[in-house]
Amino acid sequence: MFAKTSDPNSPAGMRMESLWRRVFSGGQAPIWIATVLLFAVSPLVAPGSLKYSAVVGMLPFAAVLAIAAVGQMLVIQQRGLDLSVPGMMAFGAALVTGLSQWYGWPLWAAIAGAVIFPGIAGLINGIVVTRFGVMPLVVTLGMNALLLGTVFALSNGTPAGAPQEVADFTKGEWGIVPNALIFAVVVIVIGGFISQRSIVGRKLTAVGVSDRAATAAGFRVKLYQTMAYALAGVAYGIAAILYAGYVTTPPLFFADSYLLPTVTAVVLGGTALTGGRAALISTGVAALFLTQLGQLLRAVGWQESYQLIAQAFVLLVVILARAIVPMITRSVRARREVARTAVTSA
Amino acid sequence: MAKTTKPPTKPAAVNESISIAPEIKAAPGTMLLKLTGINKSFPGVKALKDVSLEVVAGEVHALVGENGAGKSTLMAVASGALVAEEGTIEIGGEPLTPGSPREARRLGLAIVRQDPALLPDLTVAENMAIGAGLTKNGGLKRAPEWAQAHLDPWQMGIDSRARVSDLSVEQRFVVEIAKALALKPRILVLDEPTEHLNKEEVQRLFRRVRTITEGSAAVVYISHRIPEVKEISDRITVLRDGAVRGTFPASSVSESEIIELVIGRALDTVFPPKGKSIKAGDDKLVVSNLSGRGFQDISFSVKPGEVIGIAGVQGNGQAELIRALAGVESATGSVTVSGKKLRLGSNSAAARAGAVYIPSDRHGEGVFMPLTVGENIVMKTLRAVSTLGIVRDSWINKVAAAQIDRQSIKTPSTRTPISSLSGGNQQKVLLARTLLSEPEVLLAEEPTQGVDAGARVDIYQIIRGAADKGAAVVILSSDGVELEGLCDRVFIMSRGTIIAELEGKNLTETAITTAELTSTTVRKRNDELRSRSTRFRNWMRGDSSPAAVLGVVILAIAGVVGATNGSYFSPFSLNAILFTASMFILIGAAQQVVVLGSGFDLSIGPLLSFLVVIASYFVIDGGNIFVGIGLMIVAALAVGFINGYLTTKFDLNPVVVTLAVALALQGTLFTMRTVPGGIITPAVTDVIFANIGFVPVITIVAVVIALLLEWALRRTRFGVELRAVGSRIEAAERQGIKTKKVQLISYVVTSFIVMPTAVILMSQIGIGDGRPGLSFTLTSVTVVVLAGASIFGGRGSFIGIIAAGVLVAQILSVPTFLGLSGAWGYWLPGGITVGAAILYAQLRRLRRK
Repeated sequence: MFAKTSDPNSPAGMRMESLWRRVFSGGQAPIWIATVLLFAVSPLVAPGSLKYSAVVGMLPFAAVLAIAAVGQMLVIQQRGLDLSVPGMMAFGAALVTGLSQWYGWPLWAAIAGAVIFPGIAGLINGIVVTRFGVMPLVVTLGMNALLLGTVFALSNGTPAGAPQEVADFTKGEWGIVPNALIFAVVVIVIGGFISQRSIVGRKLTAVGVSDRAATAAGFRVKLYQTMAYALAGVAYGIAAILYAGYVTTPPLFFADSYLLPTVTAVVLGGTALTGGRAALISTGVAALFLTQLGQLLRAVGWQESYQLIAQAFVLLVVILARAIVPMITRSVRARREVARTAVTSA
Repeated sequence: MAKTTKPPTKPAAVNESISIAPEIKAAPGTMLLKLTGINKSFPGVKALKDVSLEVVAGEVHALVGENGAGKSTLMAVASGALVAEEGTIEIGGEPLTPGSPREARRLGLAIVRQDPALLPDLTVAENMAIGAGLTKNGGLKRAPEWAQAHLDPWQMGIDSRARVSDLSVEQRFVVEIAKALALKPRILVLDEPTEHLNKEEVQRLFRRVRTITEGSAAVVYISHRIPEVKEISDRITVLRDGAVRGTFPASSVSESEIIELVIGRALDTVFPPKGKSIKAGDDKLVVSNLSGRGFQDISFSVKPGEVIGIAGVQGNGQAELIRALAGVESATGSVTVSGKKLRLGSNSAAARAGAVYIPSDRHGEGVFMPLTVGENIVMKTLRAVSTLGIVRDSWINKVAAAQIDRQSIKTPSTRTPISSLSGGNQQKVLLARTLLSEPEVLLAEEPTQGVDAGARVDIYQIIRGAADKGAAVVILSSDGVELEGLCDRVFIMSRGTIIAELEGKNLTETAITTAELTSTTVRKRNDELRSRSTRFRNWMRGDSSPAAVLGVVILAIAGVVGATNGSYFSPFSLNAILFTASMFILIGAAQQVVVLGSGFDLSIGPLLSFLVVIASYFVIDGGNIFVGIGLMIVAALAVGFINGYLTTKFDLNPVVVTLAVALALQGTLFTMRTVPGGIITPAVTDVIFANIGFVPVITIVAVVIALLLEWALRRTRFGVELRAVGSRIEAAERQGIKTKKVQLISYVVTSFIVMPTAVILMSQIGIGDGRPGLSFTLTSVTVVVLAGASIFGGRGSFIGIIAAGVLVAQILSVPTFLGLSGAWGYWLPGGITVGAAILYAQLRRLRRK
């Protein structure tokens, strides 16, 4: 009811950003450079870490992380954060393995179920967030527990094995390239195409950039936001199928270790935590970077628990850099401006 | 300048119980506020040009001018909220350091803004106490009576114990004025104070104003309403386009002379010819009996090709009306576009019917800031640049380039980010986007605000062009010249209703301004909204009411489970539930502290585990227990500090920071204890397991800690500041609270409360094992959500936490007693978290209505 007083200070911050600031405060270039550098130093740090067998052993895990990170990215693009990744992936894996082994579903139905049911769980996340106005964090944290319980109930506490066909496909190679990698590249390229080039993708971006502007433009904001959560569920399901196939009998709650890496991959890929433009392909590259980093640390003898510390460290360093670089640029610019006024007024 | 300070010449002769006269007295005529040569510009606009103003003791000095004339900017400079490029400010003879609101307040300047800086989740008394600096006037304990004494003279039925969010808009405004008066200012600035008041309340305000000027203070009175200005003020200063047009004794100028000075400029802009193509016949847009937030019973219709203007002093329902037409806000009544009835309150339904809305908040609602000019231009017509749902960038560029050319948008290329364009060109991009979608109804709010003269002319051409193509156009504008030049008809709105319609020869800027400024309509008031303050109702609206509901739920569950399994009520099982509850109470309280300040902590569980693992090296037989406890405390404080420092110092997302810290802690603790090890000494566990009857001592301790926190939340400075920060951080900042420091401390306190929880947990598991603690993060969130705290911060109670902690412990024990499968151990906490969050969100929504 109060009259709006327009904020006169805002246009000041809207000047063209300098190139280097764009690169370091949210661009996609750094992760490509970092990944190339990482692979370049890998043989120096751990001889043999770029051997064919080592790379082929790493790539399927990078593929799983990349697809799961795409799901996380869709939610982060809408200014949410999905804490249900562990539950979703465990659910997908329990479905693809359990449905065929315990419940006798045919192969296609088990695969479809492992994609659709996590998608429905994501849809519920989205509906609760948009229609009932509950904070994404609380919804996804609760959903995570609900899904873990469901995994427990589905499997009766015992992990099942993946269907033979799925295992054969994910472990197989096409020429010298692992099928899992090809699969992940196809998924990400299709996803990237939809995200960048389709009307739906453009509208998802617009809603993520500014839900208020999208509302004023007449977009169905809540529908798109809900869709992002549902599609994220689908992505987790696909990632889980790939993982289940590759390790054959996934432990029930294997995906607890996937939550942080998905967030890190999204942030490293250049998608801002404040939503907006999504960087799908770079997110995939970031997944490759994180997996190779883990591989390298393992090769030099770091325990699994160190990996957690390393991942946390990488994430903190990246978000800190994104926060600090603009601060420095701003203060440098302010100092320059002071100097300029001093000269002109003298 | 002669400056004398002497006792008051005469006591403030009023029947009001509490003094609002300034503490430092000044003789009438003493200079209290002196602004000299103020220059202030915003990007693209010179807001104040060499403005000087003198306000003396004992006078009411009115500041009049149109919207955007610079009145509020000038007072923002005077109060230290904005820094001017040039000029000096003196308050009571002392120079003010530019940009220091706290110093201005200390020197005796109080400002009441159009948008009150109140904290919605706090009570009226707490708000007023914060305004007065918390420690004065008997502190928080006596604040309710003290605040009530200041509120009673207003006879607005405001209970000082009521929450601000439960007050009506006009009541909030009165609280804001009372808060400013409680500071006993020497200079009181009132910015549009009568917008929300009815006639009687305006008179009450005027009596208060006269009281304080008699007490030798000065009042700066900013208003659009000339009759009221004439009545109350001693001198009037007119501002136009950022410059002073003169200061006059109020008795020497007439209303019409003031209006002339306020407008004072000729039609110098070129406008396109009017209404050459208004088509006779069916109306394109028909609005009947439309009511909504801020406006009532609006009816009008617009023909194709017609441009309608909506005028009125800011804040009289015009913006809400146009937003309701666009479906962005809800309304009742009926709106018909091209003969089809519109579903109200749906932005997409309005868009499908061909209604296009151009908001005034261009940065927030208009353009998509990080996107390019081209993307912005085609955003509403993506289908036209796509085949089979796939967008063609080359088509975007072609369409965008054509629009850039046609609307003469100045941009380096279609791929330039729109953020680098000037305001006028951004607005043209918005109009280009609008025209591409071929609107049936064009709704534009302040289409030329912040736009330079050249672009204005272009924008007028574009709007008239849309009308000529057959659109019905509705424009909201505060620029009388624009309305006169552009519109075929103009409606004047005041206090939510249309009070006049101007057309043809009568449609002149003077007529518009006169109608706006001389309106004396009284806003329809929904008296139902007044807070009827019974004790029970207040308690139900309070933070602690969920606790009672949870208590009932606890008893119900106990009844059902006890009926199924008799051993449920045995001292042994009750003892076990209460023991677990002690941890849940503490962990919930820990999360609650940080949530109250709008933070979030995902590292609680891993920190708990980490502390248990540390203990397993020292708190063992033969180990040094005190070193162990000391290390646990240090570790807890360090983790809290890291969380708080990273989130507040660098403005990082608390969820991501605490998530990273959580996993780093997890990595560290599993490095220390790959497998469980280190038996916790019975010397400690025996103490922890002590009982009084069947009640564990530790549960009593946990309850006492929660009660202490509850007391601190209501009665200590930090508690109130924490809730203030969580309630509305920018208002808290404006009130002078150091928000970052408060949030940082909240993280440290949270981690510190985890420490005693770790002592209980390690006694329960008896060995250095990191796994059991990890799930406590979810439990802490479950407890906080169940306790009914607003997860967005600001409100919550630790009494609710006690009840929720017991309830969660009870629910988690249910599967054991009912013989349910292990899956329920996950389903129950997950389900209640989501369920309770939905329930409370709905309750809050209902309460707001």
